[in-house]
Order: sequence, then C-alpha cells, then structure tokens
Amino acid sequence: MAFAIRKKRTRELLLIWFFLAPSLLIFALYRIIPLLWNGVLSFEFWSPYKPAEFAGLYHYEEMILYDDVFWQSFWNTAVFMASAPIGILFALVIALLVDTPIRGRNVYRTIVFMSYPVMTVAVGIIWQWLYNEDVGLINYILRSLGMSGRGIPFLNSSTYALPAVIVASIWQVVGFYMIILLTGLQNIPQSLYEAASIDGASAWQRFKRITLPLLRPSIFLCFVIGIINSFTNFDLIYVMTDGGPSHATELLVTYIYRVAFKLGQFDYAAALTIVNFAFFVFLAWLANRLSGGEAGAVEST
Amino acid sequence: MTRYPKWAIHLGLAIICTLMLIPFYWVLKTSLTGENIFSYPPAILPENPHLFYYVDVWYSIPFFRYLVNSVVVSIIVVVGNVVLNAMAGYALTRDFTGKGSVIMLFLSCMMIPFQVTIIPAYLITKELGLLNSHLGMALPLCSTIVCIFVFKASFDAIPKSLIDAARIDGVPDWMIIFRIMVPLSQSAIATNIILAFIWSWNNFLWPLIIIRDNDMQTLPLGLARFLTVVEDTTGALYAFCIMVLVPGLMIFLLAQKQFIAGLTSGAAKG
Amino acid sequence: MTLKRLTGVAIGTAVAMAVGLGATSALAQSQKKISIMTWNIPYFEEGMKKWIDLYHQKRPDVQVEWIDKKGTEFSTFYQTQVVAGTAPDIIDIQGGLWLEYASQGGLVDLTPLMQRDKEYTAGLYPEFANGWRFEGKNYGVPFYISKTLLFYNKNMFKEAGLSGPPQTFDQLMQYAEKMTGGEKSGLMTLNFDWLYWPFFAVNGIELVTPDLKKAAFNTPKAVALVERLAKATQAGVINKISWTGRWVEPNGAFAAGNIGMLHAHAPAYFWFQSKGPWVNADTVGAANFPGGWSTPNSHALLMSKGTKHPEEAWDFMKLATSGEGAFIFGTGSNNLTGDKAANARLMKYFEEKIPAVVPALKTQLENLDKLVGNWPLAKDAQVKEAFYPELQAAMMGEKSAKEALDEAEKKVNRVLQRR
Repeated sequence: MAFAIRKKRTRELLLIWFFLAPSLLIFALYRIIPLLWNGVLSFEFWSPYKPAEFAGLYHYEEMILYDDVFWQSFWNTAVFMASAPIGILFALVIALLVDTPIRGRNVYRTIVFMSYPVMTVAVGIIWQWLYNEDVGLINYILRSLGMSGRGIPFLNSSTYALPAVIVASIWQVVGFYMIILLTGLQNIPQSLYEAASIDGASAWQRFKRITLPLLRPSIFLCFVIGIINSFTNFDLIYVMTDGGPSHATELLVTYIYRVAFKLGQFDYAAALTIVNFAFFVFLAWLANRLSGGEAGAVEST
Repeated sequence: MTRYPKWAIHLGLAIICTLMLIPFYWVLKTSLTGENIFSYPPAILPENPHLFYYVDVWYSIPFFRYLVNSVVVSIIVVVGNVVLNAMAGYALTRDFTGKGSVIMLFLSCMMIPFQVTIIPAYLITKELGLLNSHLGMALPLCSTIVCIFVFKASFDAIPKSLIDAARIDGVPDWMIIFRIMVPLSQSAIATNIILAFIWSWNNFLWPLIIIRDNDMQTLPLGLARFLTVVEDTTGALYAFCIMVLVPGLMIFLLAQKQFIAGLTSGAAKG
Repeated sequence: MTLKRLTGVAIGTAVAMAVGLGATSALAQSQKKISIMTWNIPYFEEGMKKWIDLYHQKRPDVQVEWIDKKGTEFSTFYQTQVVAGTAPDIIDIQGGLWLEYASQGGLVDLTPLMQRDKEYTAGLYPEFANGWRFEGKNYGVPFYISKTLLFYNKNMFKEAGLSGPPQTFDQLMQYAEKMTGGEKSGLMTLNFDWLYWPFFAVNGIELVTPDLKKAAFNTPKAVALVERLAKATQAGVINKISWTGRWVEPNGAFAAGNIGMLHAHAPAYFWFQSKGPWVNADTVGAANFPGGWSTPNSHALLMSKGTKHPEEAWDFMKLATSGEGAFIFGTGSNNLTGDKAANARLMKYFEEKIPAVVPALKTQLENLDKLVGNWPLAKDAQVKEAFYPELQAAMMGEKSAKEALDEAEKKVNRVLQRR
C-alpha cells in the first residue's frame, strides 16, 4: 500500500516536471543563459572585435562612483514603477464597470483595450504631438480654457517629462491590466455573490469580502506587470523622448540599450544589466512576500 | 451585481473611453488625411479624408507576404502559449518540493529585459539552426510567464472539492485537466490567446535581428519603409499602423465571446 | 467548443504555410556572395537592381544580398552579426559610429586599395574622403554627401523687412529676433550628431585639444555663447524643438511656416517640401551658415573585417560610389555623391527636374575647407553622450551655462581618459 502511494506520488511528480519542462527550457534558452552571459561579461573588457580580458570590478566601480546617468536612470525607474498602482487602480475601476451586465460593454472593453495593441511608434509620435509646447492638443485646450499663456513644454522639461511619459505609458498599458483583472473577475464563482446577496450584504461589502480577496492573484500579477512595464515600455520612451531631455526620462533599460548598442560598451552594459536584474528580482521577491508568500495563491474557497 | 444606476455606469465609461480614444482618433485621422500634425491650430475633423495611404501601404511593401509570415509566427506563438502555459500553470497548482523556487525563477525570468539578451539569444538561435525561420521568431515567445500565472490563478479558483471528487472516482490526472479544469478556464484561455497574439504580432526587434531574408520579414518590419528621412510619410505610417492593428482587434473581439461564456448563470445578459 | 475547432484549424494552417514557405526558400547557395547593408534607404529598390545588373557585367558569378536597416536599429543588427561572424561585407554608415568600429579593428583599411586604384580615388572629393580617415588610414569611401546649411523662409524675411541671408553670427541672431513673435520663431537647428557645431565653430570654440586627448570647450567665450543661445531659446527666438527634436519635428515645424531659418542639411528640403505645399524657389532660400561653417552629415561605404571576398566587395563599392553607379544613386535618392564627375551630371539633372533644390545643393559643394564637427574620436558616441545632455539642459534653462559646461567638461574628460 505504501509502495503504491509512493509510486503514485512519483508518477505525479514526473507529470509535474514534464509539464514544467517546455516552459523552463524556453526560459533557460532565452532568459537564463543570456543573463549568465551578461554576468560573465560584466567582469571583462570585451567588444565584438576583441578577445575578452579580465576586468574585475572595473565596470561596477565606474557605475557606482562615476556614472551619474546610471543613478538618474535608477531613480527614474523607481518613480516609473511607483506610479504603477495608479494605472492598476484605474484599470480596476474600468474592469469592474465593464464587468457589469450593461448594454455595449463589449464596445467599451474594446475601446479601452485598443490602445494596447497599437504599434508603439504611432503611439509615441501622437503623444509627442499631444504634449507639444506650441501646437499640441493639450496645450491647445489649456490655452482655449485660458489656463496658461505660453504652452507647457511637457516633454522638454526635466520637471514634466517623466510624469508626461508615465501618463502615456499608463494610457498604453491600462487595457492590458484590464484584461488581466477581467480574467480574474471571471474566476469568481457567481454563487458566492448570490449567497452574499441572500445574506443581505451591500455592494460595497460584497466587493470587499468577495471580489477583492479573490482578485488578489490578478492584482498581484498586475503589480508584477507594472514592474516589468518599466522595461517593456522601452519602445514608447525610445520613440517619445529617447531618454531625454538630459536623461530626465532615462530608465535603466533605455540606458542599458544605449550603452550597449549606441556607445558600443557591451561589457559595461552587462554590468548595468546585472545590477538592474538584482534590483528587479528584489522587488519581485518583496511583492511576492507581501502578497502572502506564494505568487497568485488563493485561499481555498 | 452593483446598485449603481446604469446611466451612471454608461456615463463613467463614456468619459473614460473618450479619454482613451483621443490619441487613437488622431492616428486614424492622420492616416486618412496625411495632414501635418505640427500645423496649428489642430484640425478636429478630418478634411477631405481618403484611403490613398492605405492603398499606398499595400503597394509600398510586400504587404501580403509579410502578413502571411506574421500570421504563421503568431499562430505558432498562440498555440505554444495556450498549451505550454496551461501545462506549466497546472503544475504550479500542485504541491511539490521546489515549487517555491520554480515560482521565484519564473518571476526572476520576467525581470530580464529582452533588450539585454539580444546577442546571446541570437547566438543560441543560430546554434539551433533557427535563424531566418518562423519557428526562430516564435520560440522565445512560445511560453510567457504572465500567462502562466493567468492559468494558475484560474485553475486555483476551481473549487478543490470538484477535483477531489473526481480523484476519488479514480479519474486520471490528465483527464481532470482536460475534462474539468480547461473547460472551466475559458477566460484564461481567451486571455492567453489575446495577449500571446498581440505580443507576437507587434514583435519588432527580435524578428529584425534574426531575419535577413526579405521573404521572411513580418509586418512590423515593414515599418522602416515609412520612417525614411526623404519625405514625410506620416500618413502612410499611420495607415500602416492601423492596418497592423486590425487583426489584433479582431482576435480580441472573437476571444471576447469567451469572456461572456465564462459568465455563469445569475448574470443577466446586457 | 469553438475554441477547439479554431485551434485545430490554426495548427493546420500554420503547418501548411510553414511547409509551403520552407520549400520556396530552401534553394541551396553555393555561389560566392557579398552582402551590402544600407542605412534607411528602403525606397532605393530599383536603383539597387540597376547596381546589381551593372555589377554582374563585371562579376557575373557573384551574388549580391541587400539588407537595409533604419538608423535606430542599424548598429544593433550590425553588431549582432559581427559577434555571430556573419557581418555584411559592405556597410553604409553615417555619423561617428564607424569610428568605434575602426578603432577596435572591425573595419578593413582601404588605403592600399585606394592607392592602387588611382583613377577612382582621384575622382573623389579629398575633403569628403578625408572625413573617413582614422589614425592615418582610410576606412571609407564617400557614398553620398550632405552638410548643414541655412534654409530661410523668404515670406517671413519679407515681413520682417530683411533682404537676404545673414552674413555674420550677430546678424543671424538679430534676424532671428526680428522674425520672432506669436507662434513664430526666428531660428531652428537640427541637433543630432554634431549638427549644431557650426554655432560653436563660428565663435572660434574647439571641442577638444588638437591631440584629441582633452576637452577644450570650457572657455569664457563658450559660456557667453551658450548663455546667449539659451536666452534666445527661452525667449522663443530659437525654437525649443532645436534642442529636443530629431528629424520629423523640426522639419515639420519649418514646413508649417512658422520658422524663419532652419539650420539643417540639404535632404531636409525634400522632407519639408513634401509637407509644406507653399515651399518653392520663391519662398524658401538656401545659404551658407555665417562664416561658411558646416557639419557634414555624409554617408560612406565601409568594409567589414570579416569579409571573405574583399576584392569583390571593393568592386561593388567603387561601382556604387563613382560614375554611372553614383549617378543612379543620386537620381534615385536626390542626393549628391562623393564623385566629382557624377555630381556634375547630377547638378544638370536637378536643374532640369527639381530646380528649387539647386541653391541648397550648391552650398553642399562650397567651403569644403570649413567642415567641423567631424573629429576622428574613437569614442565619438560617448563624447557626444557626455556633452549633449549638458548643453541641452543649459538650453532648456535648467542649468546655467557655466554649470553645464563645467559638468560637460568633467564628463568628456572622464570619457577620454577611461579605457
């Protein structure tokens, strides 16, 4: 009997790892090995044309002691991520609204989602124009309302540029959050709401006691997306400001890309990558911890 | 499920949608007029809209060829995502030693930006002999971590009692997955399809790096044709972006049906 | 279950398509092959066919592959190919990118070939050819040439009571001020690479010491100049897009008709003309920047070190940059080339076909001794990164000129000193 249970357990374990294997293989090939490559490179002097030479901590020293841009992009990245809850909250409101049984919700969903699949180049150019100091729509409206005399140079000022880019990025990604949250809402058994209704719970109580706790895995996922968004939104920043003016919108990822492919310092970029990675993993670990230890767990209902 | 009057919900959504639509509206308008967006004051309505740029786009690049390539790559990616992510997502709902590490590993993998992996990923793809191929373009996207967690959350939400009952009846594991869990996770599947499709469809830098052959280019690579420095091609650029957008929206609308199907009894259909 | 059916159909289609496509592209290639990678000229398809036909008259057995990439992805693609050992044989490069490749030994020294083929080399403009010299070796042959000049809006000049283009820097600033007001600004410049450097050169400011080892720009004169430019920018005399826009924004703004003078290189003409129906010979003038200073924004063809067929590649390079091949390129892309004879033919062609652009093109062949902003710095890109953001901060009024130049000096020196 004990043997049979163990055998069953082994079979189950085999199945689990068999199911994980393909995904793990893909990630190993396209994420983990490249990361290790970066790790090795960060301790070397290397360029595509020359054999590698040992560099020790040279690049890390350069980064921490001399590179102001690194620190600036580090803080910009932190600000960018800290803004994620705004977008998530916004998306949550929308998701709850379009989850109600109202006429035309498909249309609403589509409209909200539509901003996500538009090619970033187009999005970037349009937002550049919206923000334009002289001819942009936002300043046009402000002027028509008599709220500002000379236009606000949103993207051309170190004060406004980062918030402006963040707004555009929230605009772009809110549909993505909405989908994730909507999927989460679909997972909540309708029977729970019915039972609560019979018990006389108010809408707010139902939201607080049923929706919010059961939506936690999806919200957690949105936070993780918010974190990675600070580098998946690479393209948008690249098109809108290219990290400027004067690195005011430089994120770690745009900086790494610039250092590697525009300045040709692959070794230094590798060191930046490693630091960037450590920073993000720490945050993910923290988020995981805060969300209750196991990512995406739901209490059994 | 809420007691807010319907008109209030409509009003709220209308405001949100207007805000969301403004930038989009300008893309559409410019694609129809090719106007100089830097002229002032901005024209609210399109003047003399025409479809010239759409036709222009069709003939400026081998649009159909690129479209076919994009479709092939996206299908591989979507199928890969739905199957592999469901498998991995299911595995993560079970208890096993090392589960915590696997989850942490997945989360960490998400934290590696693609841009820093270009060179090694290229070399690996070369070793696999997949340069210049559809599979080579698709492979890195064939399993995505966000979507694994979408599946996991969905599977987790299925009442344990249901599964346990099936187990006691001696239903094998794989049968539980395909007969009970997958059918109950329609909205997770829909999400996987939508997101995987869009990621693959809009993927730009990776195909750009591994494709040398003109016949193998995907649609987003056609972009370069509309960003030359010789003349203004904004109209065509935007027309191109709209044309690339349409399939994504169609997939979204199709998959949306699954969201509605996911709604069980009790929700009055609007 | 619609989903299931959909999936089945999808897999079937994918397999069928993949098989079909695989069959068509699986032709074996055992021939000699060279590849040329160009910089954002996807429209040159027809011309490229003509080139290849011409080339096949001389070398019928060599296959030619053409790759074209946008500037933003050019180096990403190229360097990945270099690492993988499959670099294109010939590359078309603009700006200072090549210096980094050359200094690390990634390019073929063309000097011996150029010395051997004297006739070909003699046909090139030495000034433009010298722009591709690094440490005494020639790494590139001029492919198409352009340098900055001053476009001016004749309507706005008339309104302000100005008769002709400015002759001195002070005049330039005065004119700009006169034309400024309301939506209008007097002056705009492009800023990528070192295209704004004539503003510094005309005031006698050097970027680095002659030995290229140290920053030399932090002088009281430079501080005064930056202050002046920053003030003009704050007052709207110099449009802010000058310091933030790249190509579409400044040219689009000029096309909108609100900019008095645009400091840009010749190809800008075609762009803003395509966007501004009012642009013609009577409304837009072209002149040299005061003092005749200009920054080249030329392209050259260079050869990757990894090439297996240097002779075959060299033949193609010569073909593309001289005689008929150069003429084909000039007419196909509306550019002047590095070949004197071809340019003489091209000028006639433009006078006939697009006379309005001729004044601008004429400036491109003048004052070739006053090219600036093309230092052979191995770390050109890094120096630019160290310098420009500081200058930009000063122009946007976020730092004082002194602060910005001090900081820039520190950073530039750091770049020049570190390994």
